[in-house]
Amino acid sequence: MAQHQVNYLKDGGLPVALTTIDKVVNWGRSNSIWALTYGLACCGIEMMASGASRYDFDRFGTIFRASPRQAELMVVAGTLTKKHAEFIRRLYDQMTEPKWVISMGSCANTGGMFNTYATVQGVDRVIPVDLYLPGCAPRPETLQYAVMMLQQKIRKEPASRAQKPKRLM
Amino acid sequence: MQQANRLRPFFENITFDRVDNEMILNFGPQHPSSHGQLRLMLHMQQEQITKAHPDIGYLHRGMEKMAENMIYNEFMPTTDRMDYIASSSNNYGFALAVEKLIGLEVPRRAKVIRMLLLEVNRLMSHLFWLATTALDIGAMTVFLYAFREREYLMDLVEDYCGARLTHAAIRIGGVPLDLPDNFMTDLRKFLDKLPENIKDYEDLLDKNRVWLMRMENVGVISKEMALSWGCSGVMLRASGVEWDIRKEEPYELYDEVEFNVPDSDKGDNYARYKLYMAEMRESAKILYQVADMYEGTSPELMAHAPQYISAPKLEIMTQNYALMQHFVLVTQGMRPPVGEVYIPTESPKGELGFYINSQGGPYPYRLKLRAPSFWHTGILTDLLPGHYIPDVVSIIGTTNIVFGEVDR
Amino acid sequence: MRAYTPKDNVQKKSYYTDRFWVAPQVAKFDVSQDTVFTADLDAIKAKFDVLDAYIQVDQMVVVINANDNYAVLELLKNECEYTQLSEMSAIDWLATEGKFEIFYQMLSMAKRKRLRIKCKIDEKEAIQSVEKLFRCADWSEREMYDMFGVVVNNHPCMKRILMPEDWEGFPLRKTYPLQGDEFAAWYEVDKIFGKEAREIIGPENRDPARIDRYDTKRFSRLGHEVPFGTDISQGEPDTPLVYQEQEGVFMVDKFDAQKSVVISDRHR
Repeated sequence: MAQHQVNYLKDGGLPVALTTIDKVVNWGRSNSIWALTYGLACCGIEMMASGASRYDFDRFGTIFRASPRQAELMVVAGTLTKKHAEFIRRLYDQMTEPKWVISMGSCANTGGMFNTYATVQGVDRVIPVDLYLPGCAPRPETLQYAVMMLQQKIRKEPASRAQKPKRLM
Repeated sequence: MQQANRLRPFFENITFDRVDNEMILNFGPQHPSSHGQLRLMLHMQQEQITKAHPDIGYLHRGMEKMAENMIYNEFMPTTDRMDYIASSSNNYGFALAVEKLIGLEVPRRAKVIRMLLLEVNRLMSHLFWLATTALDIGAMTVFLYAFREREYLMDLVEDYCGARLTHAAIRIGGVPLDLPDNFMTDLRKFLDKLPENIKDYEDLLDKNRVWLMRMENVGVISKEMALSWGCSGVMLRASGVEWDIRKEEPYELYDEVEFNVPDSDKGDNYARYKLYMAEMRESAKILYQVADMYEGTSPELMAHAPQYISAPKLEIMTQNYALMQHFVLVTQGMRPPVGEVYIPTESPKGELGFYINSQGGPYPYRLKLRAPSFWHTGILTDLLPGHYIPDVVSIIGTTNIVFGEVDR
Repeated sequence: MRAYTPKDNVQKKSYYTDRFWVAPQVAKFDVSQDTVFTADLDAIKAKFDVLDAYIQVDQMVVVINANDNYAVLELLKNECEYTQLSEMSAIDWLATEGKFEIFYQMLSMAKRKRLRIKCKIDEKEAIQSVEKLFRCADWSEREMYDMFGVVVNNHPCMKRILMPEDWEGFPLRKTYPLQGDEFAAWYEVDKIFGKEAREIIGPENRDPARIDRYDTKRFSRLGHEVPFGTDISQGEPDTPLVYQEQEGVFMVDKFDAQKSVVISDRHR
């Protein structure tokens, strides 16, 4: 005879949790952000470092994917040049909705120190950006904090509706 | 939903002649194993490459033009972003070129610190090379191990200058700071562990069947080809030319330390891999010796040349003339003598040279960066034909190119 | 009155120059001081005109006629053991002389010597390719063409290398401004969205120090300066660094700073 009493009302007593669909979907989305490997320059090295052993991005559910079709986050890590601009737009178009963009480092934000003829002055001239990450180059902790901010942003959005159109500029 | 754009779904901007059985493969510019932004147009006969056109310039940021519009000290942080895996070696190359132009002699302690930074950077670069190449070939474990060791080195550099990646730790005329207290102990602690770590990597890779199949007799560069393509560094030494600028044209204290220059005459990927591993050991050897040199040096860090170099902070704060000089040097910049200079240094990637043409003004009239990776990318034109698609990745890996440097 | 800016050289100029200041020179030495260089120079002089030759910072500089460039490099490679061309490029002297200067930086590994061959060509003139001698000149010459517009004869593939194929202008010429011309400013917008999108996207902000004084959210409050240490929160609470929402996240453990361990020894 089972002697113990199960308190079904107490937290964890029943293997069932009640929540809304929105929350479940957003929980899934925000904790499995797959990022496109978009290392363009120096920041790309820090992006790799944040995926490597000490910083371990996998614990956030962030895994770098090599294909835009399997990714929902584009971390633009580095200087975007005029010659490359067309390709970043192409790859952005290939990503499936919902998709987010983190602009990592000063070069991606504003052109940074490369105020020259060959550099796009901010990736937001070409693709819409959700999060700007300052620094030259930002440390891996900063990138991880940015991803956590993005998770918060995702959790705030309703999951069922299509993404709101983003301003390009 | 987003703004519409004019980009058509396929390559509308590429034209090529289609020969009956030939396929054209576009590799990059954003490919996980292209080490940056390399684009390769490969003409294929089935799996075999018949022609290769490397297309570069996707990271061209106009550094040479920037140099013409910047005073010499202002340009120093820009050099960091060239070979961003070992940025102090670029700082050093530029600083040395300007010092040679002016004719400055750097104090001994600054030389010791520079040597430490250079070799730490070499280790960082080689570890990074190992990590990424192993990752491209599929050895994830080595990637994680090598990055672990690299982080310790990053900590060391961070303790010294505060930055992880873009150090700007070397100035024209010396170094800005003395070493922090714990630097030497941390460095020695790291160096004591390094041989085991290198052995770990070698245990994982050396006899690994997959690694050997991808590396041995793949990407063979003959001696003539290496010389003709202006290869330098490991690319040259793996092809049987024993040429290390640290040994042949010693700068700083390289003539006082004892080290070997490993070389091989195989010329294939595996030879290059072995050389990188051997060079890491040599770097550790140099670091031990340089660490011993630090003790007993006089505490000056910057050369004394009031016309070109600002006085130490204490003098600027207490002496009127030093303050005025500093003001002029910061606002107008130093004016090196009229002349031109080409100074090569052995960066982790190869021969990094700075050609400076000065017309006596505060801005260089022309500054040409001789980046080793530029030619190591160029050699792919001749190297890739005859190889198969999977070899492309391992060849790009062992050429150790970094695109900040190729495109500048 | 607008200040006069020269059109032939738009690079940055020093705002102050002392009229009486004479720029010092990097010392030039006679070639006869170095026996190895003397032998090399004699080999060149035997067949070609040498306009000038000297030693500067341990390297010999030889100025030759532009027509001889291929033959001189061939001689150096085959007879004087200068087996590597480390670098070559051009220098723009159009503003002063109307010429380009082209230099070839050579290295002899056997002799451990470096020398530099220089020659000058007119703006419209082309130069002979040395790609047959040194394969690395293939890319260097393309880069030189890309950056300066110096055309190279007998080159296998005379196309732009660093800039896009459809780029206008030669960036390293002194007449080309650092921040690019009109074409450069709109390049990516024109290419991706078309010219009609220029108005929507707007011009680039090329001024790193630009401050919008009415934008109080994103930048400093210009015109609203207060003494140091004044409370400027206007009743808004301080926003601390938050990693997660206050109420926690569904099925995710909340980070607890009390429970976390700080590793002091990094090398353990």
